[in-house]
Amino acid sequence: MKRLLFATVILLVSCKPPTPAEQMDAILSWVGSAIVLGNGWLRHTTPDTYTRQTLTLSHDQLRQIGAELLKSPPATIDSTELDGALTRSGTHLARMAQLVEARNSPGFNQVLDSLELDQKALKQLSDKIESSQ
Amino acid sequence: MKKILQLSLGIITSVGGFLEIGSVTTAAQAGAQFGYKLLWAILLGTLCLIFLIEMSGRLAAVSKHTIVDAIRERFGFPFFFFVLLGTVLVAFMVLVAELGGIGFALQILTGIRFPWWALPVSFVVWLLMWKGTFSLIENGASLLGLVTVSFVVAALRLNPDWTSAASGLLPTLPDDDKSKYWFLAVSILGASISPYLMFFYSSGAIEDKWDRTYLPINRVIAAFGMTFGGFLSMAVLIVAALALRPKGIQVETFQQAALMMTTALPKWGFYLFALSMLFACFGAALEISLAISYFFSQGFGWNWSEDVEPSSDARFAFVYTLIIGFAAVPLMFGVDPIKITMMSMALTSATLPLAIVPFLFLMNDPIYLGKHRNGWISNTVVGVVILISFVLAVVSIPLEIMGG
Repeated sequence: MKRLLFATVILLVSCKPPTPAEQMDAILSWVGSAIVLGNGWLRHTTPDTYTRQTLTLSHDQLRQIGAELLKSPPATIDSTELDGALTRSGTHLARMAQLVEARNSPGFNQVLDSLELDQKALKQLSDKIESSQ
Repeated sequence: MKKILQLSLGIITSVGGFLEIGSVTTAAQAGAQFGYKLLWAILLGTLCLIFLIEMSGRLAAVSKHTIVDAIRERFGFPFFFFVLLGTVLVAFMVLVAELGGIGFALQILTGIRFPWWALPVSFVVWLLMWKGTFSLIENGASLLGLVTVSFVVAALRLNPDWTSAASGLLPTLPDDDKSKYWFLAVSILGASISPYLMFFYSSGAIEDKWDRTYLPINRVIAAFGMTFGGFLSMAVLIVAALALRPKGIQVETFQQAALMMTTALPKWGFYLFALSMLFACFGAALEISLAISYFFSQGFGWNWSEDVEPSSDARFAFVYTLIIGFAAVPLMFGVDPIKITMMSMALTSATLPLAIVPFLFLMNDPIYLGKHRNGWISNTVVGVVILISFVLAVVSIPLEIMGG
């Protein structure tokens, strides 16, 4: 029993944090989710509450993963550029959630376009990180 | 005529009851991250399940013993207790995940977060167990579960490249993220070969008073029901591969998993996903609660049947009351059902030998099965798949925890 506990503790202690490339994949996954969701909401195929909650979740996840990534950003990329892209995406996600609540489709469409541009910028940064590994 | 009806119902309920939170989550994650590459794991798991389900029914029909009864009788109480501990612990984790799945489905439908659903959902599951009969639980929940066929419709709507999909039926190594790949393969095997299904099926055969005349029906239900069920799991993987992977979306939450259906079936996809998860998890929660109660009652020699009043088998009813109550607790504190699902599916693989190896011994014992005991094909298929699952689990679980 003691050995089992010891092995469990060792396993948990040695848990490796995600690599910057994995963190960027997770960020892109959340931004991609928000874009698919946003397009669905504009086509009236996803309900308001689910859309708003998932956009808020995407925003929270982006902020959390982004903060972790910025603690020790990879040397191959400009951390100011990364910070800027993450901040812009986060702002757009929060704004989209508000616009869903206000049922403002035209405004939502504009912010969604901006988020798609953010996604491209983040993808370029992600490619840089992956090519350096 | 009665048997033809039973046969049709058996196949339909096997299909409707096949998907649950484990099979959907593992298949969706696999498709979103690795495309078709992990279809082979579903194929292997389904093949093994066909044999195991057929064996469970055969044991019950020929020997009039459930698996648990026979394990206790053949190997003695100390060994049985060891099997009980491992199997019930993992089944309990799966029950938590299924109740969480129902809560998540209700969350995306209503906006009320899943921890708030933990108690009401557990109460409804308990109430159905308390008031319902075996056929209501077996047939009712599974018939509602037929809504999961919508995953097949979604897969067909996305028009997959069938040649590429077929290539996924043969195991190939991924270019990167190997530890995640093997962990997902193990989880898919664990989700497909869930021992609780065998305990539930063999107990059901005794509840339905099967005899040797049911052997052909048993074989057809196992073969067709599980094969169609396997197709459902494959459909989930294909939909995720086509709808989520090109957009770089990984399935870390239920909310993200729903997006695969909104992409494939824009008009109804969201509601079909939510209802599929609601009914599939509900059916699975009932089956697991029953399976755990069967396990305790048959192992300890108590009265057991879902078809009698709880006052006639009080200890049987007490077990599911306690188990369902305990399962609600982690969910009330917001424990993520997806994380529990992934870990419980992998642990299922790791603990498979505990339940399956003694079962294989039983299936080769002439005292229990006479001339109906296993042939070499059944022994080889099940033995090899269980060995593969176990080895992969032992290697991949620590690798996944340590991040490869």
